[in-house]
Amino acid sequence: MVHRLASGGRIDRAQSLRFTWDGRTMTGHPGDTLASALMAAGEEVMGRSFKYHRPRGIMSAGVEESGAIVTVGAGDRRDPNVRATTQELYEGLTATGQNAWPNVRFDAGAVLSLFSRFFAAGFYYKTFMGLPPFEWGKGTGLWMQYEKLIRRSAGMGTASRAPDPDSYEHAHGFCDVLVVGSGPAGLNAALTAAQAGLDVVLVEQDFELGGDYLNQATEAAEQTRAELVAQLSAAGARVMTRTTAFGLYDYSVAGLLERVTDHLPAPDGALPRQRFWTLRAKRTIVATGAIERTVAFGNNDRPGIMTAAAGQTYLNRYGIMPGDRIIMATNNESAYGPAADLARAGAEVTLLDARAEVSDELKALAKANNILVRPGTAPLNALGKPAIDGLETVTADGTGWRPGEVENGDLILISGGWSPVVHLLSHRGLKPVWDAANACFVPPESDDPIHTAGAAAAIWRGEDCEASGRAAGAAAARALGKSAPEEAAPGPGGWATPIRPLYEVKLPGKKLKSFVDPQNDVGTEDVRLAHREGFVSVEHLKRYTTLGMASDQGKMGNIVGLALMAEALGREIPEVGTTTFRPPYTPISIGALSGRNVGSHFRPLRRTPMHDWNLANGGVMTMAGLWHRPWFFPRAKEGKTEAYIRETTTVREAVGLCDVTSLGKIAVQGPDATTFLNRVYTNPFAKLAVGKARYGIMLRDDGIVMDDGTTWRLSESDYFMTTTTAHAAKVMAWLEELLQTRWSDLKVHVASVSDQWAGAAVAGPKSRAVLEACLEDSSVVSNEACPFMAVIETTLKGGIPCRIARISFSGEMAYEAYVPSDYGPALMDLLWAAAKPLGGCLYGLEALGALRIEKGHVTGAELDGRVTIDDAGLGKMASTKKDYIGNVLRKRPELLRGDRPRLVGIFPKDRAQTFNAGTILCKADAVSGMGEGWITAVTHSPALGHWIGLGYIAGGHEAWQGKTAVAADPVRKGNIEVEIVSPHMYDPSGERMHG
Amino acid sequence: MASTQAERTSALAGSYTAGRFGMDGEAGVVFQEMVNLSLGLVAAWPDSFAAVAALAAEAVGAEAAPGPGKTVAGTKGALLRTEPLKFWIVGAAAPELSPEQGASLDLSHSRCHLRVSGPAAAELINRHLPLDLGEASCPVGTVMASAFHHVGVTLWRSEAGFELFLPRGFALSLWEILQDSAAQFGFEVI
Repeated sequence: MVHRLASGGRIDRAQSLRFTWDGRTMTGHPGDTLASALMAAGEEVMGRSFKYHRPRGIMSAGVEESGAIVTVGAGDRRDPNVRATTQELYEGLTATGQNAWPNVRFDAGAVLSLFSRFFAAGFYYKTFMGLPPFEWGKGTGLWMQYEKLIRRSAGMGTASRAPDPDSYEHAHGFCDVLVVGSGPAGLNAALTAAQAGLDVVLVEQDFELGGDYLNQATEAAEQTRAELVAQLSAAGARVMTRTTAFGLYDYSVAGLLERVTDHLPAPDGALPRQRFWTLRAKRTIVATGAIERTVAFGNNDRPGIMTAAAGQTYLNRYGIMPGDRIIMATNNESAYGPAADLARAGAEVTLLDARAEVSDELKALAKANNILVRPGTAPLNALGKPAIDGLETVTADGTGWRPGEVENGDLILISGGWSPVVHLLSHRGLKPVWDAANACFVPPESDDPIHTAGAAAAIWRGEDCEASGRAAGAAAARALGKSAPEEAAPGPGGWATPIRPLYEVKLPGKKLKSFVDPQNDVGTEDVRLAHREGFVSVEHLKRYTTLGMASDQGKMGNIVGLALMAEALGREIPEVGTTTFRPPYTPISIGALSGRNVGSHFRPLRRTPMHDWNLANGGVMTMAGLWHRPWFFPRAKEGKTEAYIRETTTVREAVGLCDVTSLGKIAVQGPDATTFLNRVYTNPFAKLAVGKARYGIMLRDDGIVMDDGTTWRLSESDYFMTTTTAHAAKVMAWLEELLQTRWSDLKVHVASVSDQWAGAAVAGPKSRAVLEACLEDSSVVSNEACPFMAVIETTLKGGIPCRIARISFSGEMAYEAYVPSDYGPALMDLLWAAAKPLGGCLYGLEALGALRIEKGHVTGAELDGRVTIDDAGLGKMASTKKDYIGNVLRKRPELLRGDRPRLVGIFPKDRAQTFNAGTILCKADAVSGMGEGWITAVTHSPALGHWIGLGYIAGGHEAWQGKTAVAADPVRKGNIEVEIVSPHMYDPSGERMHG
Repeated sequence: MASTQAERTSALAGSYTAGRFGMDGEAGVVFQEMVNLSLGLVAAWPDSFAAVAALAAEAVGAEAAPGPGKTVAGTKGALLRTEPLKFWIVGAAAPELSPEQGASLDLSHSRCHLRVSGPAAAELINRHLPLDLGEASCPVGTVMASAFHHVGVTLWRSEAGFELFLPRGFALSLWEILQDSAAQFGFEVI
């Protein structure tokens, strides 16, 4: 019987922790994992397999676990597919089994295993895709339906659908040396490097430092461990437990996942649940150890079968006797230590060794501990249901096997050899090399700043691992210019008698259910089936059978699968290759990847200086890029439509105020600023007078319009450029690129002043009156002093410095006024106090849009990176007397075709109708395909009294005179007949803005 | 601007509350908004750099201008060499330059100046900025450009702590995130 021992292990028996498993309350102790606590409580079945719903128990004591995969937590904190072997126990932990109904002990789905011979690799696809005879040659329509049902019955746990209540964060770290793993090699490596004077970070995925030291029963091992840890701390190394180095990237960048609160019953809300580290180390020491492999034999997935090292761990670390009569099966020396420990603790141990010869030293060890060793013996088929009660064995017969005896026992421990954890090297593109003597892949030689130490380099003996750690630490120190003691690094191996490679045990004619990758229910027959069906590459094998694709990513089964494929192909393992391990080493929650970039901080939020003012004055906000901008300012009972129509009308009839801070603003300064602008803009800037603004268009090199805006000349050498909100950053980067890479001879500096200035548009017939009331000297905005396109620098009441240009986006007489940002609210206070008595209004983005659509003014929606200056109807602004960026390529024949889509206005033929932005414009008799154009912006036009739009259509409005187009919007409005008109739908001569 | 009577409204106005927040114990982080920032940008041409550097140093009351990525604190203000040909002048008026000498620009309202100090200040900043803040690479007097939640920011390590210059429009959003992530250290706002 499995039971907790009265003493021993690293658990604190003085304290009990209560937890629930499938609704039943149990207890464990601090120091337990969920797996050890469940094992101590006598639980055997902890999961159901992926396809066949076979019962599964604990198979390991680490990250490679393929059996005890459970769901931890409930409600919005439900976390599926947690390896019980790595989940630290805490008071109140709630865990449930998954992929089972009603529970993992009695699972109705287990009936599927009766039909398992049909569910070989590819079964579902072969059976349900293109289902004969109904779908022969006709696609996969039925599959789409079946798939939902199949996915429901086969699978892992289910994640919570509720928003994650926890917070996560990112962090950046820097160090000289990163040491991954704190076993005998890692601790020694970290200590040597730290004592050489290096800044060392040691990461350990476990909650305790020590690696294999923790699995040993001797006081000497614990003393060594404790001393190393103390010395490490004294040497100033930074130690991170509960932290996994999940990936290694270019330039020695490592990805770490730190589990901050996953072990705490009631963490402080100020703590993130997990922390995602980007650690930049100068060198990395990989001391990640090795994972013990299993062997494929009959029923090798049953509860009560685990690795030999796991048996030792549960005994020595968790104080659990995992079985009374233990059958161990090995092909190498490493199982003798665990066997001796278990026997000394009181178990009856029979050790099957596939090798014919065993060293005298091991024979003596076995004899001293009453272990019955059976050389030349291997496991064939596990017996007993539900609990293990025996093992059919085979005996060596030449190079093959013949039936052997049945061993009785209640626990089977397997050691099929060890696979060094070379994942981090694999992430760097370093292909591991097959070491036939040790039957494993070992790290290759490389020029990367990486050292490998201990079992990760296939070094098996503890003292050799320690020495190799010291050597790696010293090598890293020397590489970074420090002196460190010379010590020869031990090579791979260390066993007196070599391993006998053993991947599968079978007998001719004996039907067995042997698993290679238990987590995905991939059996030995699946691998052979894949071979029979023509798969020769290990990469294809993986995808066909799903071998190595579960959350353990093939940590235990990949080598066995590879060996079976090699055997089927009649090749050696290295000729078949190995799959490339990719990050992450162990699963990472999506939350950790997101960090704090969630909710309102999903993207950085940009607020104008008038943000609070706009809100306080009734503004409803909307997103414009990263900006929060006022959308409309509803008065009592108004919705968006009523509000923007009123605001638009008020601007046309009286005056309106609008926060336009989001426009990009760039200072262009220097004696060559005029030359620079003249090259950047299509229209001439050489003769722009000081105190004047000019509208300009800039093109990309390829002749496509990049952006537009007004640029104000403040002095001979000082300009204030405005850009669209959308393209502000792009234009700034573009100007810097031009100055730094093409025209470094020009004495021009550019600087973004978007954040320096807060801006408001004052638009409407009464706009001058509003400004006059706000200025210390009202005469500066008279028509004479400040005509259309004039720029003045003046002072608002209260001494606030102010920049004003008489420019118009609305088509009305209008001004843009800018003040240093911290005065933004004061600007609005002044303007609003003046505008309100004049019947003015505040207006938002919706009315701003309506006003400019009526006028046919383009913005980001029209300048979408596809249009030329002619397409946008602005061809007159392309100078013929000077050169400028984009002037050559804009004249490519394709860009000059007369039937290119041109900017147009759009009216519904039936004026009562409306249409949407994004609608395709088609010929009335050809409503199909790409159409003739598209609609970019729509609004109700108060001035015209009906719905209008802007858009592009082939040939422009001249080509559509007298013709009807169809606005085709199949998934929304359907088809609507429209008239194509000039884009200048209101006040086309522009009289109003001249006041 | 000296004659302006109007009050400046900080980007953090209404969201900046003095007090002790987050985890108990010693406050790991202390925040202080340095309001009424005076920030000038001074840019030189390659052939006028030496002269402009001297003028900039004089403007802050320092003997000489700092090298790239460095700052000097003068009697009147601090001079930050933010780019090869550009300086920031913090706390003092920028010198008047002729176009042939270079260009100067007032950026006092363009940034929110937040001082981050306390024993966990560097750790907090590394939650966001991928900069090595160790003594070797970031001694007092270092100025660096970096990214904070996708936003370009300037960091200056002064005697008083880490001086963060946040673009004004993003400042409140970044301030919210800073407080969220500082709660684990316990923090004080002064």
